[in-house]
Amino acid sequence: MSADNALTRTHAAPGEPFVWLTAMGLAVGLLMVFGLLGIIVANGLPVFWPDRVVEAQLAPGVANPVPGGGSTVVGEVVQKRIKRVPILGPGGEVLADQTEVQFFIGNRDVYGATFAFVNNSDIKSLTEPPGIFRIERLEYGIAFGFPVALESAAGSIAADSPDFLSRLDKAVAAATARRGQIRHIEKIEIGRINARLNDLRVRDGDPAAMAALQADYDKLAARARELREEQKADIFVYRTPTGVERRLPVGEIVSYSLPNQMGFFARAALCAHNVWNFLSEEPREANTEGGIFPAIFGTFVMTLLMSLAVVPFGVVAAIYLREYAKQGFFVRSVRIAVNNLAGVPSIVFGVFGLGFFVYFVGGSIDRGLFSEYLPTPTFGTGGIFWASLTLALMTVPVVIVATEEAVAAVPRGMKEGSLSCGASKWQTIQRIVLPASLPGILTGMILAMARGAGEVAPLMLVGVVKLAPSLPVDGEFPFIHLERKFMHLGFYIYDLGFQSPDSEAAKPMVFATTLLLILLVVVLNLTAILIREKLRKKYALGAF
Amino acid sequence: MTVVIKLGGALVIASVLGIFVFIFLQIWPLFRAARVNELKTVTVPPAAYVAMGVDEWGAKPFLVEADGTLLFVDLGHGTSEKVPVDFGDAGEPRITSASLNKREMKIVLGTADGRYALVSPGYKSKAVGRSPHVTVDPKVESVRPIGLPGVPVLDVAYGDSGTEKLVVALQGDGETNTVTAALTRRKRSLMGAGKDEPAGEFDLTGFIPGRPAKLLVSANGKEITVVTDSGDVVFLAYREGKFEKLQTFRPFGDLADPRVNVATFIFGDVSIAFGSDSGANRVFSLFYPPGGKDRVFGLTHEFPSLGASPVFAVSTLRNKAFLIGGGHTVSLRYSTTDTVRWQSHLGFQAELATISGKYERMLLLDTTGRLHVYEIDDPHPDSGWKALFGKLWYEGSDAPKWEWQSTGGSDDFEPKYSLVPLVFGTLKGTVYAMLFAVPIALLAALYTSQFLAPGLRAVIKPVMEIMASLPSVVLGFLAAIYIAPMIERQVPSLLLVAAGIPVIAAFFGWFWSTLPIRTRKWIAPGNEWLVFLPILLVCGWALWSLGPAFERIAFVTTDPDTGRKIADFRYWWPAATGASFDQRNSLVVGFMMGFAVIPIIFTITEDALSNVPLSLRTASMACGASRWQTALRVVVPTASAGIFSALMVGLGRAVGETMIVVMATGNTPIMEWNIFSGMRTLSANIAVELPEAPHNGTLYRTLFLGALLLFLITFAVNTVAEILRQRLREKYKTV
Repeated sequence: MSADNALTRTHAAPGEPFVWLTAMGLAVGLLMVFGLLGIIVANGLPVFWPDRVVEAQLAPGVANPVPGGGSTVVGEVVQKRIKRVPILGPGGEVLADQTEVQFFIGNRDVYGATFAFVNNSDIKSLTEPPGIFRIERLEYGIAFGFPVALESAAGSIAADSPDFLSRLDKAVAAATARRGQIRHIEKIEIGRINARLNDLRVRDGDPAAMAALQADYDKLAARARELREEQKADIFVYRTPTGVERRLPVGEIVSYSLPNQMGFFARAALCAHNVWNFLSEEPREANTEGGIFPAIFGTFVMTLLMSLAVVPFGVVAAIYLREYAKQGFFVRSVRIAVNNLAGVPSIVFGVFGLGFFVYFVGGSIDRGLFSEYLPTPTFGTGGIFWASLTLALMTVPVVIVATEEAVAAVPRGMKEGSLSCGASKWQTIQRIVLPASLPGILTGMILAMARGAGEVAPLMLVGVVKLAPSLPVDGEFPFIHLERKFMHLGFYIYDLGFQSPDSEAAKPMVFATTLLLILLVVVLNLTAILIREKLRKKYALGAF
Repeated sequence: MTVVIKLGGALVIASVLGIFVFIFLQIWPLFRAARVNELKTVTVPPAAYVAMGVDEWGAKPFLVEADGTLLFVDLGHGTSEKVPVDFGDAGEPRITSASLNKREMKIVLGTADGRYALVSPGYKSKAVGRSPHVTVDPKVESVRPIGLPGVPVLDVAYGDSGTEKLVVALQGDGETNTVTAALTRRKRSLMGAGKDEPAGEFDLTGFIPGRPAKLLVSANGKEITVVTDSGDVVFLAYREGKFEKLQTFRPFGDLADPRVNVATFIFGDVSIAFGSDSGANRVFSLFYPPGGKDRVFGLTHEFPSLGASPVFAVSTLRNKAFLIGGGHTVSLRYSTTDTVRWQSHLGFQAELATISGKYERMLLLDTTGRLHVYEIDDPHPDSGWKALFGKLWYEGSDAPKWEWQSTGGSDDFEPKYSLVPLVFGTLKGTVYAMLFAVPIALLAALYTSQFLAPGLRAVIKPVMEIMASLPSVVLGFLAAIYIAPMIERQVPSLLLVAAGIPVIAAFFGWFWSTLPIRTRKWIAPGNEWLVFLPILLVCGWALWSLGPAFERIAFVTTDPDTGRKIADFRYWWPAATGASFDQRNSLVVGFMMGFAVIPIIFTITEDALSNVPLSLRTASMACGASRWQTALRVVVPTASAGIFSALMVGLGRAVGETMIVVMATGNTPIMEWNIFSGMRTLSANIAVELPEAPHNGTLYRTLFLGALLLFLITFAVNTVAEILRQRLREKYKTV
């Protein structure tokens, strides 16, 4: 109906208000999408941007939630929200200002808690102490404090001396390097020896070889001990805002910053640094700090394995259904069954993966090939291989449907032309049909990958863990360890939100991980959708 | 190559169907009956045996003779060995009664001269190869007088609470019977196990009307049941240093012959199985009667008659099964599910019976001195059609109920495996999700296909489909951690917005249509949604801010703590409706599941509506219909099959959604429609419980059954949808 038609009417057409009602439906739907994405971005991005540390002066007579804090609360402002229980004034009346401020006070080893809540009406003033340090530690999380001195074997440097910061920088850099060395020795070199020792022990190997390995182990362990001692040599002395003096070995400092002294560009640089750390480091403190690299890696490897499994099988099945099987009742019912499988809840696949792949197939493999290690299961427990197979089974219908539609969209004329030139059926498929339907197959694969990256429920049963001791792919033979458990971005979110000891503290991490996962999934899906739209235009005649 | 393709294709399809087969194989053992096979028969020396017991491995049962000798039978070799029990300086008493405390694996013997003796068989096992090698070392732990000296003890039983032992003896000299309870306390000392010291005797005869005939003591020594020979049962509790009579009842009071022949506590000591002389069999359990303050026994299960007069009734140490037998009939019954697991008419008369601790072996001693050993193969007695789908009267409850409570804190916990609360939860989640999702999805799809500017369709559709790509774990996380706390305080605002926005939309539409053309030309048809977005935001924000004011007017109630009047929906709702208000409730879940369901319904509906041939639409408009009239009366009916199939696919998705439900509801398996309370769905239940379910146990298989139910529901829904969709395709296929 063209625009002209509408304009020549003198009264509005019947039913116009209802059109607006339907417009409301679309507007609500769009708002939901952008609202959700907006919430995630709005909560996820600020996680990386360095905050200012404020000092809140409390009104006289107000109880300080920070033990020993006197009349001030020092920390980062996390949020302001309406208090659940009404705040009452001295006379029992409900105050006008019902907001409370949540401060992140850090220093969990001193205060016992990480957050403090103060009524907004109780805050007299907010200032930003310039010299305050924000120290990220290996244990107990973030510390806020004022530096006192840096003690080393060569003597102690007071915090107000000019080269204090440069010395501290050097010490922290050296400590970080040493930490990397320790990690290399412990995880990689000692890990290798342990794996070999375990192998020999289980197979009742040569005691001389075992003794030699044990000697190597002892040497490495001694070196690691040495390095750890060196880490404790330098001590960073600081004073918490409540006046408690703390001594922190420099080896425990991951990084530090002066949040109130950084300009915009310094903060932008630190933000970028934070983002990089988030993507490349390993998690600490029960996954509430550090980075999510193992989860990204695990998701990536599992999705890759899954695609390797699903694409060949899906394409083969689709070609069979479309080209080879006699079209009739049987094929139609098989197609219905495959489409049904796309609708089956993912947890059913997880259940099947656990019962069949893990317990039955894995158990049989264990009894056959790894019986020396029993009762410790090797393949008879969840692992990346079974997880990939389970998800492959779950996403096979997506690939089959996408491939079938792509193959069906190839114009019959092209196929018939090829056959009439003397090509066999398989040659036609191989050289004409498959290349032409490649974009559709690609769409299917991308949709499958997006679904695999996002699904958590089946993975909970077949091999995802909160913290995996090692990556599924590493430098040790056989390089790809199919029986290892792995970490996954989606499960990371579930676990942090619901199974962590402090889900308030984990919130920034969860939002950041959610942001990453959403980015990944949305990008994959948009790519698939765009490819599909272009494909639809290209084969508009033959397609339905 | 052709062969490879055919093989590959067939393999994929076979594996897809194999899931169904595999799951089915996992669950059918749940519905199997018990299989009891006779393994062997061992002849024992003829004697008058008064009690029988067996070790937990079912390898060396013992028989107690009347003179106190223990006869240990080695089932593996078929031999038996008499071991006289050394009573020390207590002499050689004549044993008149014996009973076994299975949990402590000790025998209490009552003598003819008014004493009792505690004897322990001293079982020890060493693993030799596959089977355990069991040795015995019987020891007398104590011999003490009880009650009236010199009067024979006709029945004796004891319970042990860890610090106190309670021995109850029924003594009779032919005329009157008395019942006495003796307490011994064990003082804990730093040097190891302390000694038992007598701590008092209580004469309980006064509590009992009639002639006491049989005693039962619970394993922890806190409850005593005395059966009289006229069929009365007296329930006594030992509390705070004295005995109280809590109840007298007649299990078979309504029958012609009310005498109770046999009685046994069922594992857990909360229920007693009674057998009357005529063969009737009933189970009574402890529960609080309405308004009562003590737990007393009430009839909870009635079983079919044994058909003979029962001689023995024994329970197990593993589950709520009990074995009852008399004459030639022996029957293995399960209390919780009201089922007879196995019943048989044997070729002999059994007089003593016992079941081994692991519910694997059953031993029957017949009247001719032969011990029959049976193997029990009954891995899932607590399951079955009634347990899964019917109402069962669980222990401790005052009525039959549907309940899901699969694990508890102790070994004698009675697992409750009813799937009905879970199916109800699935239904509830689906209903609320569809309630929210269907209007929005259908309206949006109608607008997109019929009224939206055609060029924009290629942009809007992908944007709505992004909603489909959001992983449900993210939706669940946001629902629980972000949205639920936010909504908890703001329910009135939400109500205002939900009611107000459609009204405003319709009103704006009506208002707009009354304006002259000069004004109306500024919004081209197809752009209404763009105009509506800011209106939606502004009005939504305004209505949201009016929420607290609305709350102060409409939802005033009395604060239970302070007694003042407060305006808080969270307290108003329970006061007004009697139902609870939880933070994580179906409202939040319904809203978030909308994110998962809306894009599915939207896409398919939009496809269906757009595929209505253009000729129908243009013909309708040529006849003078407005765009709304065309849409409503021509397009929608033509596409109705597709719309219906869209709803079905969306329904299938809502039924199977797992992560959102796990995170955003309370996972409480309750059966109420209250929108402000939680639920537990089949899918969430599997996700939460399967990682910890013991492999091949009842819980494991029941969870698989839940998965099968889900599979079947989505299969049914999707098949209907797919058939409709294929029919639609064929009807509107272009060449």
